[in-house]
Amino acid sequence: MSSVTHQQPPDAEPHQQHGPAKGLKRWIFATNHKDIGTLYLLFSLAMFFFGGIMALVIRSELFSPGLQFVHPAFFNQMTTMHALIMVFGAVMPAFVGLANWMLPMMIGAPDMALPRLNNWSFWILPVAFCILASTLILPGGAPAGGWTMYPPLVLQTGDAFPFLIFSVHLLGISSIMGAINIIVTIINMRTPGMSLLAMPMFVWTWLITAYLLIAVMPILAGAVTMLLTDRFFGTSFFLAAGGGDPVMFQHIFWFFGHPEVYIMILPAFGVVSEIIPTFARKPLFGHDSMVYAAASIAFLSFIVWAHHMFTTGMPLTGQLFFMFSTMLIAVPTGVKIFNWVATMWRGSMSFETPMLFSVAFVFLFTIGGFSGLMLAIVPADIQYHDSYFVVAHFHYVLVPGSVFAVMAAVYYWLPKWSGVMYNETLGKVHFWLSAVFVNLTFFPMHFLGLAGMPRRIPDYSTQFADFNAVASIGAIGFGLAQLLFVYMIFQCIRGKGRKVSAAVWDNPKGLEWTLPSPPPFHSFEEPPEVSEGAAFS
Amino acid sequence: MTADHRQDTEKQVRRTALLLGCVALAFYFGFILLGVLNA
Repeated sequence: MSSVTHQQPPDAEPHQQHGPAKGLKRWIFATNHKDIGTLYLLFSLAMFFFGGIMALVIRSELFSPGLQFVHPAFFNQMTTMHALIMVFGAVMPAFVGLANWMLPMMIGAPDMALPRLNNWSFWILPVAFCILASTLILPGGAPAGGWTMYPPLVLQTGDAFPFLIFSVHLLGISSIMGAINIIVTIINMRTPGMSLLAMPMFVWTWLITAYLLIAVMPILAGAVTMLLTDRFFGTSFFLAAGGGDPVMFQHIFWFFGHPEVYIMILPAFGVVSEIIPTFARKPLFGHDSMVYAAASIAFLSFIVWAHHMFTTGMPLTGQLFFMFSTMLIAVPTGVKIFNWVATMWRGSMSFETPMLFSVAFVFLFTIGGFSGLMLAIVPADIQYHDSYFVVAHFHYVLVPGSVFAVMAAVYYWLPKWSGVMYNETLGKVHFWLSAVFVNLTFFPMHFLGLAGMPRRIPDYSTQFADFNAVASIGAIGFGLAQLLFVYMIFQCIRGKGRKVSAAVWDNPKGLEWTLPSPPPFHSFEEPPEVSEGAAFS
Repeated sequence: MTADHRQDTEKQVRRTALLLGCVALAFYFGFILLGVLNA
């Protein structure tokens, strides 16, 4: 990083003076990447709790056999809404928030390329979620057919149906606009001297993710538009009675849905690839191979979708193709895991909170990856399909995977954003509580699934009682532990804590660490000078 | 950064954004067309 110099222009003083607008206007008309990043992150945090409360309703109902608290129809609404909110409202916006905050600072740009589009991308989100959440008070309740919206079941949704479709369209528009902005920024606004391959891993993984978003969000939008016309305009795209094909919807949905999984995990790979080198005090092992691995994962994500549909029936050739292509993903993912471990190997490691979350990510995401490999095996999948084993698998990928990476990123960059250090002791307490409770919640679900407990049911046979009770206790503990996270975030926002230097950590790599903490309202008025071949992560 | 360079970047930004927007719209209508052809 010694090759980087940050030059302020002669007129830097007057520029710094036209800082943020005052009051509510600052947030409603925000065009600054940091303000919009903050909005995204706070929205995502609120949605984590909104979706988390729904998870706790589910786990409370499942605490013991028999119906306890809620009607089965409401239970189904909770599983559907929990998934939609966590995927589209919590995990995706969290990573977009991190991208907004960090990408311009990492590539030496003054802001995102299209700031007004950025404002629209964000403000569409709360509107979409108000529409979706309003279905909870409609006659017939919220959508209850699962987040996958399979016809013909979803077409039986009551008044909530058009609300669901409209909100999914809005979420898609928001994601596509955000992705366009990210690609345009990375392609056109890198500081001179920063070649594509030299970009930090977080930037690289987001570039690939943004391409995935542009490729697949329109497909989801197209599929739900066809659902809408089937319901209201007399078409029969997916209605067997009219000559349509309901399985076609599943193909289209999963052609979106599987890349969507990587949309939620690739930026997490980027975060971990930034944090591990800092706390191992070594450059990232195999930077270029990490880039190629991320691109390979993105490519493979388009040719594996039917592994979600083995039980719908397909020719043997199809089963074999989708089984082997799915297994192939383990190769580039293995490259990544190997490189993170090799980065830590013989490093001068220290275990601050971001590093703890990152190391846990490597371990626990790998468990989710392995159970994914088990699900890829066709004869085994026919046994596991629609069981709690699947629930265990994707929660291992998304909670100690994506969510832990978001937490690691917040702990890593929060001192840079706020200018003060969070309470390290509380951070470690938060980590250990989260790590213990997340495993207590999701690990027993593997056993439940293997023993035959189906997913999406409010009641179950008494043989599943013990593991369900353990999982429910874990979920309550995990939820309560997150209050510590919120407390620390707001302490930093209020400026309570030790002031930090520009670098924050021990000699981290990257342009963002050359800016003061907190960074000025306009990050780089002039592009910083970097030498060819400088390392940025 | 010169004014020429700034204008050039702005032009490239608009061009890339329009191109990506068109790709997204093409995918959206393309998949609906696929549904129509399949029906």
